[in-house]
Amino acid sequence: MGEVILTMKEIDKSFPGVHALDHVNLEVRKGEVLALMGENGAGKSTLMKVLTGIYTKDSGTITYEGKEVEFSNTREAQEAGIVIVHQELNMLGHLTVAQNIFIGREFKKGIRIDDKKMNEEAQKLFDRMNIDINPKERMSNLTVGKQQMCEIAKAISHDAKVIIFDEPSAALTETEIQELFKIIRDLREKNLGIVYISHRMDEIKVITDRVTVMRDGTYVGTLITKDSTKDDIINMMVGRVIYEDPKTESMVPKDAPVVLKVDKLNAGKMVQDVSFELRKGEILGFSGLMGAGRTETARALFGADPIDSGDIYINGKKVTINNPQDAVKNGIGYLSEDRKRFGIVVQKSVAENTTMATLEEYMSGIFIDKKKEKEVAQKYVESLATKTPDVDQLVVNLSGGNQQKVVIAKWLTRDCDILIFDEPTRGIDVGAKSEIYKLMNQLAADGKAIIMISSEMTEILRMSDRIIVMCEGKKTGELDISEATQENIMNLATREIE
Amino acid sequence: MGKIKQNPFVKKVGFNRIVLCFVLILMYVFFCVMTQGAFTGMDRIMSALNYAYFLGFLSLGVTFVIATGGIDFSIGPVMFCCALVSGFSFVQHGVPMAAAMVISILVGLAFGLFNGYLVSYWSVPSFITSMASMNIAKGLASVFTKTQSVSWPQSAAEGGWYRNLVKMGSIPVGLIIFLVVAIVCAIVLNKTKMGRYILSLGSNKEAVRLSGVNVKKWEMSAYIICGLLVGMGALFYVAAFTTVQPGYGDQYNNEAIAGCVMGGTSMAGGLASISGTVIGVFIIALLQEGILALGFRKDYQLIITGIIVIVAVFSDVVSRRRKN
Amino acid sequence: MANKKMKTAGQKSIIDRMGGQKVIVILVVIILFIFFCALSPNFRKYTTFVSILDYSYYISLMAIGVAFPLMTAGVDLSIGTGLVCYSLVGGWLIVFQGWPTWAGILASIVFGMAMGVVNGCLVALMDLPPFLATLCTSMITRGLGSIISGGFGISWPAAAAEGGWFRNIFKIQRNGLNIPIGFLWIILIVIIMSFVLNHTKIGRYTLAIGSNKEATKLSGVNVKFYHILAYVISGFFAGLAAISYSAIFATVQPGSGAGFELEAIGGAIIGGVSMSGGFGSISGTLAGVFVICLLKTGLPFIGLTANWQQIITGLVLIAAVLVDILKRKSEN
Repeated sequence: MGEVILTMKEIDKSFPGVHALDHVNLEVRKGEVLALMGENGAGKSTLMKVLTGIYTKDSGTITYEGKEVEFSNTREAQEAGIVIVHQELNMLGHLTVAQNIFIGREFKKGIRIDDKKMNEEAQKLFDRMNIDINPKERMSNLTVGKQQMCEIAKAISHDAKVIIFDEPSAALTETEIQELFKIIRDLREKNLGIVYISHRMDEIKVITDRVTVMRDGTYVGTLITKDSTKDDIINMMVGRVIYEDPKTESMVPKDAPVVLKVDKLNAGKMVQDVSFELRKGEILGFSGLMGAGRTETARALFGADPIDSGDIYINGKKVTINNPQDAVKNGIGYLSEDRKRFGIVVQKSVAENTTMATLEEYMSGIFIDKKKEKEVAQKYVESLATKTPDVDQLVVNLSGGNQQKVVIAKWLTRDCDILIFDEPTRGIDVGAKSEIYKLMNQLAADGKAIIMISSEMTEILRMSDRIIVMCEGKKTGELDISEATQENIMNLATREIE
Repeated sequence: MGKIKQNPFVKKVGFNRIVLCFVLILMYVFFCVMTQGAFTGMDRIMSALNYAYFLGFLSLGVTFVIATGGIDFSIGPVMFCCALVSGFSFVQHGVPMAAAMVISILVGLAFGLFNGYLVSYWSVPSFITSMASMNIAKGLASVFTKTQSVSWPQSAAEGGWYRNLVKMGSIPVGLIIFLVVAIVCAIVLNKTKMGRYILSLGSNKEAVRLSGVNVKKWEMSAYIICGLLVGMGALFYVAAFTTVQPGYGDQYNNEAIAGCVMGGTSMAGGLASISGTVIGVFIIALLQEGILALGFRKDYQLIITGIIVIVAVFSDVVSRRRKN
Repeated sequence: MANKKMKTAGQKSIIDRMGGQKVIVILVVIILFIFFCALSPNFRKYTTFVSILDYSYYISLMAIGVAFPLMTAGVDLSIGTGLVCYSLVGGWLIVFQGWPTWAGILASIVFGMAMGVVNGCLVALMDLPPFLATLCTSMITRGLGSIISGGFGISWPAAAAEGGWFRNIFKIQRNGLNIPIGFLWIILIVIIMSFVLNHTKIGRYTLAIGSNKEATKLSGVNVKFYHILAYVISGFFAGLAAISYSAIFATVQPGSGAGFELEAIGGAIIGGVSMSGGFGSISGTLAGVFVICLLKTGLPFIGLTANWQQIITGLVLIAAVLVDILKRKSEN
């Protein structure tokens, strides 16, 4: 294990009303991969933002290569050799790959930008990383995985000594993750210090050497990865043990009627001839890699995106779904993977969001009956145990889990029989997660039919009665929960990838 | 400010609107002092009110559009187009007064429909649509009237009864109608399904659409309401000033938007206040009158209104920044 | 979309390979020209040709300038009234204050750039919506122009008069014939600005801001500076446009100019500058401007008045934006 290259000591940072970082410590060594873990809101991103000069710390010291430093912007940090590969891709879609990599520090020939040299340098970088990307390609034409590789190439090209990966695998396919790991190991060989932020326990075990855990803005501790178990780390993260038992057999009665039948659904490139049935009281898991076409299937089914061809039957009757209104009329509710963009209206109250899909039921004449509206919102706040001071609270002030409950309430008021949960626990912390799971199970027990799209294998195995696996826009398999394992799901999920 | 907020009256009326009322009063006092009392006369107030009526209709209309997160730059020229087309029909084609008034409103509606359709069904940026329809309105009015100005009849002339819209004897009918319309607008915006959806989609259109709401329809309805109010505004303009000239009207865009944004309607959409707009309009109208009373030329009005809009929008930006 | 193999060059359409929208626009220009020539004998005269070019100078200068804010996903609505204001200021300094012509020209351009700085600060530093901020400055420049000129029209020195040399920049008279040499300058400027857009930091960062402002900022680019610069470029060209306008037309009237910006923006969008930022072409913009200019000069020849032309400009603008929207839709 190498020498220490970067130390953050007793870092403290407050925002109005929030103590975001409370005397946090971090130590990065040369030639090792350090995992930085913690639930959402634990302060990982804030810590990294303090490091790279996006935020200024209130107190504490940062020592880098033996000297105390304080960067005032990302550029200074970059120049010193500390680079972040961001979670959200920072790509400039209209520019080429090489132009993206060298943005902000173009090679110049007089006043002219030397694009030729930039292309050559980018090509050299890719050769060194052993990946095949054309530097002259437009960034928006690349896959998400390739774009991520470009980000990493950009980081390396900065002559970085410390590279921070902020949830790099969130958007990658399994093969791409393997490629990423290869690159990370390579960087470790070259004696770089690497910080790897992730939620995925299995990745942490595979790629990292040490794990630093944060909780609620405080430093909890650091473990040697190979000497610690998954439960140790989770315990440190949440301060309590979470049991994640896989479901072993389907809870759906054999004679449960089919409520939804989808026959050869086609919608764009990402949904090709998808057929499946959904039964009353069933949780149907949709597994697959990022970009397998699961969300696209759900959106097409819900009428959010246009359908090219295919038939949809609800309770045995053929229906036409051209837009979300049609879907809602037919009793389908959709909980998007991206709540803030597609699920809730953040600047409106809990009550207003709850009745968004059913406003006509709360009208007296042409006026909205606000009393009745609040009553029903209150009812769901209680039955779903949503944590909010009152129903007039703006949704923006709720936590992710509680926002999700508001979206669930929205569809429950509509009395939807078919609910599509797209990544229901994304961005929700571990405690609230199990509550959402309980709720979904309850809904299924009450006779709702649920489609659950999830990228987390544990979630799929824990919740589903039946699992459909998709890959490259096609359905590649269907498994009963009793026969499903991580391995055979993964097999199906990568079937179409050469 | 924290303490003030706890006062139930303040909470109900809104801090912002109380401040605006004070601004209105202070401005009046300021102009009275600066003009050595010349501003206190009833005719000045009536003149400011005449300005406030038509501007108020424009401002109320554009409040709905801004609430959806859009903008309408065509309201001024469209208002002139309404007044010109209907006035020309009355004067040259002998259309009865009542029908002419209906024509004015229909022309406004047509433009609202045009703007709304392009914005909501074709996702053309609203400022482009409305700039284009501004040009179309100006051109159409000029073509229709052969570039002649149109004089609506005086009170005594035949068909002159329409002027009672503004003032009947000594009763300021215009003020009453304007306030009634404002109240109707406030009810529509805050108590009805249409208003709820307009505000919600201004905040997050995609989320509302995925709730199974026909967002295109509701977004378009905001532009239609705007068109309707602009058509009505045209009547109040001619009732106050009788003469309209083709090719003008864009100055009122900015003034109407100023009144609306000053009243607390957020340019980002989703947040709108009708009462704020009403007070904002009175401030703008008083300001225009005051600038003239102080002996400045009309050009200063342009500059000052421009600066007011910048300040109002900037304060909206700052308050949103602080929230995040 | 995400996991599909990247598109290879072979899949690009023929039009794309030939330079995209530019080719279509140039075809439209040619078709329009033939159309007007066929319908009106008077259109086929040399003087008409010169008058098309006369209009093209100030519109294309404005369009080249406004292309930069457009490419940052913004817009500059102040260029129309701005042009008139800068021209009035320059003219006023020359005619009433006795400044030499070159100083008046310089003053117009500097004033244009100053307004550009104001616009840029409102948008880049104060986060105001570009269309609203520049609408306000358009009102302000209109007011300023009227105040400075006292509400009267101002005539820059005539070609024959002392200090009238600047008119020869755009048009020289030989043997009683007007030779529109201004077009050569426009071509030169298009070449220079194409270079600036495609091969310098200014252009690169303008496109980068329009493509993804946050990412550009995180890459260590001084985003605020380059964002403001886009508006300064727009202001600079509005200043240049003011000179060309003053050189071509005898008198400049305060209060006019509203609507010029629409022609320029229309030209830029027709020429393939994307309303959503991140993409644009200067030579395309010039071609787009000629569509507008041909309509402007050609319509009266087939019996439609200037008012019709206003309506048609509005419709053409919407059509251009619709094409841009449909194009983006098909890309996804």
